[in-house]
Amino acid sequence: MTERSIHHSTIVIERTYDASPSRVFAAWSTREALLRWGNPGDGWDLAYDHFDFRVGGGDINRFGPRGGPTFRNETTYFDIVPDVRIVSASSMTSERKHIFASLITAEFILAGKGCRLIVTEQGAFLDGHDKRANHEAGWSEMLDKLRIELLRTQVAA
Amino acid sequence: MTQHSVTHATFTIVRHYDASPDRVFAAWAQKDRKARWYASHAGWRSQDFTLDFRIGGREYLSIAAPDGVVHTFDGQYQDIVPNERIIYSYDMHLDRTRISVSLTTVELKADGTGTKLIFTEQDAFLDGHDTASQRETGTRSLLDSLAAFLATGDPD
Repeated sequence: MTERSIHHSTIVIERTYDASPSRVFAAWSTREALLRWGNPGDGWDLAYDHFDFRVGGGDINRFGPRGGPTFRNETTYFDIVPDVRIVSASSMTSERKHIFASLITAEFILAGKGCRLIVTEQGAFLDGHDKRANHEAGWSEMLDKLRIELLRTQVAA
Repeated sequence: MTQHSVTHATFTIVRHYDASPDRVFAAWAQKDRKARWYASHAGWRSQDFTLDFRIGGREYLSIAAPDGVVHTFDGQYQDIVPNERIIYSYDMHLDRTRISVSLTTVELKADGTGTKLIFTEQDAFLDGHDTASQRETGTRSLLDSLAAFLATGDPD
């Protein structure tokens, strides 16, 4: 029998990008962009089974190291203000176990000619299957890749 | 134009109920039971209450306050472990304005012959429309209603 536990923890991570809030918002709201930057592990696989970016819609993705455990994340979008904010709730499972539930807020704030991004992850870690340090590392990896994504799309434009 | 803002907060309320974990769980899980403590308040007019209590299922409650403002809860169950745990996310509207998005965990643990309930809510309050202290006060009132419901015995 599983020993049940919930550990609540909030992570706040901020970055400033040389890109407008609308460009950063676009990177959060299109599947093709998310496939390039929204992967929390270096060299991991990431695929979307479903993508429906609208209030009441959601997405389902799978990610993980090649040959290693696969994580499945199911997200519901609750609040979307274009170029301003996205609030969503997610559930993460791995090997049929529910390991994490969260509320994620992304705020896109005009800062000079750029964008200050504030990500707040209010998480509930379930039954000791996951931990805060993994999520801090995952967000750091993703938001570094987002910087490269924004440079890439700037060159393309 | 609305000034956009998000205020994050977390609060926890711990209660002891003189009822077994399965009775406390049933008060959350069964629509006719939950309606009695959760969806009806003196002076308020309940307009719609639906409960699809399963992982991925939806709960919807629309209720008009004495001042006429309609409060709408629209939630989705993320995790259910019978007699042990319930996790859901939801948003709250006042009339047509979304005021918050929340993640709630309810933990039930046997405590003597009764149950210890740990209610934790992680909130994102939108555009200054609500505060953590108001939400916590409202939740304490709901958990009082649950105590009163459990004290009256179960419906047949």
